[in-house]
Amino acid sequence: MFYILEDAINGILMGSIYGLTALGLTIIFGVLKVINFAHGSLLMLSMYVAFWTVSLSGVHPYAALIVVAPVMYLFGYQLQNTIIKPIFKAEKNVREPITVIIVTTGVWYILDNLSLLVFGPQYRTLQDNPLRGKMMEIGGLMLSVPKLWGFVATMITAGAVYWFFQKSRMGRAIRATSLDREAASLMGVNQFKIYNVAFGIGSATAGIAGVVLVPFFNVFPSVGVLFDIKGFIIVVLGGLGSIGGAILGGIIIGLIESIGPQFMTATWTEAIVYGLFLLVLFVKPSGLFGVKYDW
Amino acid sequence: MLTLVLVGVLAFGLPLVLRSPTYLHILILLYLYAYLTTSWNLVGGFAGVLPMGHAVFVGIGAYTSTILSLQYGISPWFGMIVGGLLAVVAGTLIGLPTFKMRGAYFALATIAFSEGVRVIIENMDYLGPFKLNGPRGLQIPPLKTGLANLLFAHKEPYYYIILIMLIAVLAFTYFISRSKLGYYLNAGGEEPEAAMALGVNVAKCKLVAMAFSSFLTALAGTFWAQFTLFIHPKSVISLDLSFEIAFIALIGGRGSIAGPVLGALLLRPVSDFSRIYFGDKLPGLHLIIFGTVLILVMLYQPRGLQEPLTRIYDRIVERLCSDKASEQIAVSPAAKE
Amino acid sequence: MKILEVKGLIKNFGGLRAVDSLDLSVEEGQILSLIGPNGAGKSTVFNCIAGVYAPSAGEIHFQGAKINNQKPWDLCRKGLARTFQIVKPFASKTVLYNVMVGSFANTDKTAQAEEKALEVLTLLHLDDKKDVKAGNLTIADRKRLEIARALATRPGLLLLDEVMAGLRPTEVDEMVEIIRDLRNSGITIFVIEHIMRAIMALSDRIVVIHFGGKIAEGTPTEVASDPNVIKAYLGEEYVVS
Repeated sequence: MFYILEDAINGILMGSIYGLTALGLTIIFGVLKVINFAHGSLLMLSMYVAFWTVSLSGVHPYAALIVVAPVMYLFGYQLQNTIIKPIFKAEKNVREPITVIIVTTGVWYILDNLSLLVFGPQYRTLQDNPLRGKMMEIGGLMLSVPKLWGFVATMITAGAVYWFFQKSRMGRAIRATSLDREAASLMGVNQFKIYNVAFGIGSATAGIAGVVLVPFFNVFPSVGVLFDIKGFIIVVLGGLGSIGGAILGGIIIGLIESIGPQFMTATWTEAIVYGLFLLVLFVKPSGLFGVKYDW
Repeated sequence: MLTLVLVGVLAFGLPLVLRSPTYLHILILLYLYAYLTTSWNLVGGFAGVLPMGHAVFVGIGAYTSTILSLQYGISPWFGMIVGGLLAVVAGTLIGLPTFKMRGAYFALATIAFSEGVRVIIENMDYLGPFKLNGPRGLQIPPLKTGLANLLFAHKEPYYYIILIMLIAVLAFTYFISRSKLGYYLNAGGEEPEAAMALGVNVAKCKLVAMAFSSFLTALAGTFWAQFTLFIHPKSVISLDLSFEIAFIALIGGRGSIAGPVLGALLLRPVSDFSRIYFGDKLPGLHLIIFGTVLILVMLYQPRGLQEPLTRIYDRIVERLCSDKASEQIAVSPAAKE
Repeated sequence: MKILEVKGLIKNFGGLRAVDSLDLSVEEGQILSLIGPNGAGKSTVFNCIAGVYAPSAGEIHFQGAKINNQKPWDLCRKGLARTFQIVKPFASKTVLYNVMVGSFANTDKTAQAEEKALEVLTLLHLDDKKDVKAGNLTIADRKRLEIARALATRPGLLLLDEVMAGLRPTEVDEMVEIIRDLRNSGITIFVIEHIMRAIMALSDRIVVIHFGGKIAEGTPTEVASDPNVIKAYLGEEYVVS
């Protein structure tokens, strides 16, 4: 009984980190109305950047954030600017440019295989980092320290992003654009700059997630795929475009993954996650907190 | 029209000239991919949605016919049909709720379904009385050869079978495109509201297209199983396969009949040769090439390469025929296909 | 006989009442116009009739049968066709292809559909453009294509949503002629329009709505002198009392 509680809490912690990884996906969807299939690859990239930053400079893993977040922001910004923007321009009248999905899938393939080529397939871990395997006892329960920090990071990031979108000028411009592209541009908002910024922010959150994961998660070229698919599931569960939904969706997945193995094999747990996803898709596609779209 | 006949004759005659099993193998795979992408096109091109998990139907076809033949001795031809029907059921199940949603949801649903089925098969040794063998896969012992068992010692019969299948599916696509269903699918894909106001039940048409597509794709699954004699979840139900099919169709030109075939013709050799020559030193190079080509094509020729290629082809034909015309007084320019 | 009857139609979008207890009817073979200031709810009425929206309350009867909640494609089969205010041609396809999508409503054979489509195109003077891609047409031709497509489904009742918007005066006159010819061939026409010249020339009866409710009804002359109408369109000061 006790162990279940411990597992559950660790599951919630890990789940919040899942939510963090999916945060960028939901932001990009909420603003650009496209699903960025390359999101997992962005996460993979940030993990590599974090890994190399720490390995080469020896700083504390979390200090790598100073490098990773801006790098990822710029990368995402440029990605949107050079590759995705032209498609939006070409498909101005289409409410939902499917071509963007195709293109982001292409980016996924390129990034994943490029990193396989460049970094090699071996798993990398930060062997001596100060957080590895550390556990902390709270109220008699053994909890994983990196995951605890991850939880904190998730909450702070989610809160910051939420505040940004609600209160700041740029944030409100972004929200306006997401609701009605044309009206916002009539108000003097540069639609494409907005998209670039939104993509940048989404990528930066992937960067934060990468930094959080690197102390305890192996880094290898296809690590992104795991999170990519899980990210889709989380984001649909929670509602595309909803920040709280992404976190909650992540926590649900985390819980299923941690408690499930008590009652069945780990891979059946995976099947349950897929099943849940399909269920949500069929029953309430807008997810737990999503808005019903008029399209 | 003339060109098609010429190409057809050429294709049938090739094995008589090409003796090397390696080249035959490459051609067989080429035709197989052309078949798969053409079937995909019925949904991805004509219906206007993006199925990204089509490999699941390959898997359903492969596993169904293999299990039936291994455990019950049923001919793979019969198993093929059963697999096809099962695929129709699966395809309809996915399509029913998702065709009403926006395209991105459909894409996600197909991916989730495909991965879900793969994970389930990987975890089960037995599904009721049927032996799935989990991740170890199923092997077909090359015992009884012959047409009835769809199992041959040489590559040539496989070549002809897949060639015939390819021609059949191309003809089918051609007839559909000229039929009421074809018109309705195009209309529903382009302007669903207008189409509905004109009497088109868009969702139903998409379901029909999905049914056809999944059936045909499953047939290829059986062929694959009988050709490679070994199937396991990662080989027949992989996301890589699903994406490769979609990419080829998209690069070639979804929505057209020649597009998927053209795409396969262009990209499969890239895949094969980069694997043969660079396989060890530069793994995954062909995927990088695919991805880059895909992005470039989507940016500059979103309708696929078949449009500019057909234009070039037409111009060549015109040039050839007007040369002839300057010699004789020709009546009309020849084959504009 | 009344081909279309709307009784007590109410349509709410959340807290907004777009259509408020509207009654109207169209006699077979008539041309009825629905006019009203912008935002009065005219397109919403059309969308309720055409099956795009489900009415919040009220009944709609077509050819004597209740059609609430039926789908647009079923209604089309029954003889109710409509055009869209913002034209939606199948831009990548030819004019002929576009109209064939419509004519397939009454046949399964491609050859027959093509034949019927060509007839309709000739009627609307678009046959010389039959192989032009719809996306390359002028706005006037696109509006005509919109009507041609709907016409190809062989409707008994045709709903035309602002088909004159954006047309030059000569084009408007041409359109009026076309619509009159259609009515004379036996089709009942229900029109939403803003261009008064066309309304006055075409209509047998006019219904005026404002804020989702009917404020006047009658022949063109009756409606033009109705003080409520003048007030709604031009303001209180213009009412001659």
